[in-house]
Amino acid sequence: MLSASYCLLKRSLCVVPVVILLRAGPAEAHEAWLLTPDEIEALAVAPMPFVFSSLLVLGPAAVLALLVTMAALAVETRLQPLEAEIAPTLQRLSLSVGPPILRLGLAGMLALAGTGGLPRHGTAPWVEPTLLVPDMQLSLIPGWGGLAAVQIALATVLVLGIGTRLAGLLLVALSGLGLVLFGAAFLSYAPHFAAPGLLLAILGGGAWSVDGRRHLDQWSAALAPLARIGWHVARILIGAGFVYLAVAYKLTQPTLLIAILDHAAFPRFGLPYPVLALIMTGVEIVCGALLILGRLVRPVSVALLVAISFLAVTLGETPLFHANLYGVMLLFLLAGASAPPVPIRREIRWGIA
Amino acid sequence: MMGGGSWGPVLALSGLLAGLAVAAPAVNAGDPAPRAVFLQLPDHLPEPSVTVRADPISGGRWRLTLTARDFGFTAICLSTAEPVPMGHAHIIHDGVKVAAAYGPIVDIGPLPPGRHVVEAVLRGQDHRALLGRDGLIKGQVVIVVPEGPRG
Repeated sequence: MLSASYCLLKRSLCVVPVVILLRAGPAEAHEAWLLTPDEIEALAVAPMPFVFSSLLVLGPAAVLALLVTMAALAVETRLQPLEAEIAPTLQRLSLSVGPPILRLGLAGMLALAGTGGLPRHGTAPWVEPTLLVPDMQLSLIPGWGGLAAVQIALATVLVLGIGTRLAGLLLVALSGLGLVLFGAAFLSYAPHFAAPGLLLAILGGGAWSVDGRRHLDQWSAALAPLARIGWHVARILIGAGFVYLAVAYKLTQPTLLIAILDHAAFPRFGLPYPVLALIMTGVEIVCGALLILGRLVRPVSVALLVAISFLAVTLGETPLFHANLYGVMLLFLLAGASAPPVPIRREIRWGIA
Repeated sequence: MMGGGSWGPVLALSGLLAGLAVAAPAVNAGDPAPRAVFLQLPDHLPEPSVTVRADPISGGRWRLTLTARDFGFTAICLSTAEPVPMGHAHIIHDGVKVAAAYGPIVDIGPLPPGRHVVEAVLRGQDHRALLGRDGLIKGQVVIVVPEGPRG
């Protein structure tokens, strides 16, 4: 049964992004708000770069990406004994320090979204509360202003680590609600908030939390398999989110990415921006796909952490824009592809022998 | 080189990359402008246009009157707008956005002496820039503010 599901997943990996590409609707991104009016005017008539519109370039680029990935997978096989040696230590760390990193990052994002403290470019701070991210203003969905208070309350319980599992599930629900309220525009964000919510529901509060002190992070033996399934779902959501973003934005709207690189005077590394944009697109697609498949999870987490941080520094963005992803990537770096061994509650059996 | 279990991911990844490499050129053909920033109106609709007039009002301030054809102003914003000629205008003064006009009349305050280029760029209800056949749909006015009397 599991094997059949895995095969289905692998087939979906090939088909779904292509369907996204062919049916791509309007997609919002905070990056669009970085550009000046002059840059937007230039962008309106910017030609599609040859490297993004020619099969003669994209075909060999795809082959190259595949060869690099195959080489990395071969190295992974050779390094497995070393990874197995350090894995238990890293997994123990993931259970203790992983949740607080995730809790505090998410709490920061939720509190700022609920108060409008991290607005999109061009909007005054503390004026427009949003749902999870700066682009999704609650004023656009009449009658749902109360979500601001929900997010602030959620941020508070996450900081304290009270009822962390329930808070994680609420975050999953908020991500789904975002899709209902904002439609396809929220697809860019929903997987990357649902996944950390799910991870918190699995791990609980961890270190420096009320839940941790009260030993509420333990699982009953009967439910422990759910933790393993939930972990895989979270990893797949994160990977799928990256593939979606790479296809919906970078691959099919490359002039926007190039304009942003130009705007930020991003280092060229001796390459033209279109080529650099194509490399970034390929890296994001391959990393996302590997996360979905559960391969090279630790190296991919490092690569994505470095890439996100480098972009944030170059674009002058606050790390709070991606605090959810920092937490998840650190957790994947520590725990790897599978859920760490969650603590099992000792159950007392009553009865007469 | 790789264990038997490694071929599944390689096959899946090769299918994904091949599919994208084949489909992307078709999707990207014809220089499409980024959907995240621009709202392309359908060809069967008449292309909107906008002209701008500037009038001085009390206190040294300036009032812009936007005359838009085939476009309706609305203050209602949406997270994702349909490609219809409806929305608002961004007012750009010497390359910097200074106001959003949700109706045909907007005050932009006082201007210092000198020559000023003020543009109104039509936007959809989700703030994306409306895209006509030749790029952005905009009107422009040049305001020359004379030096005031020196005391």
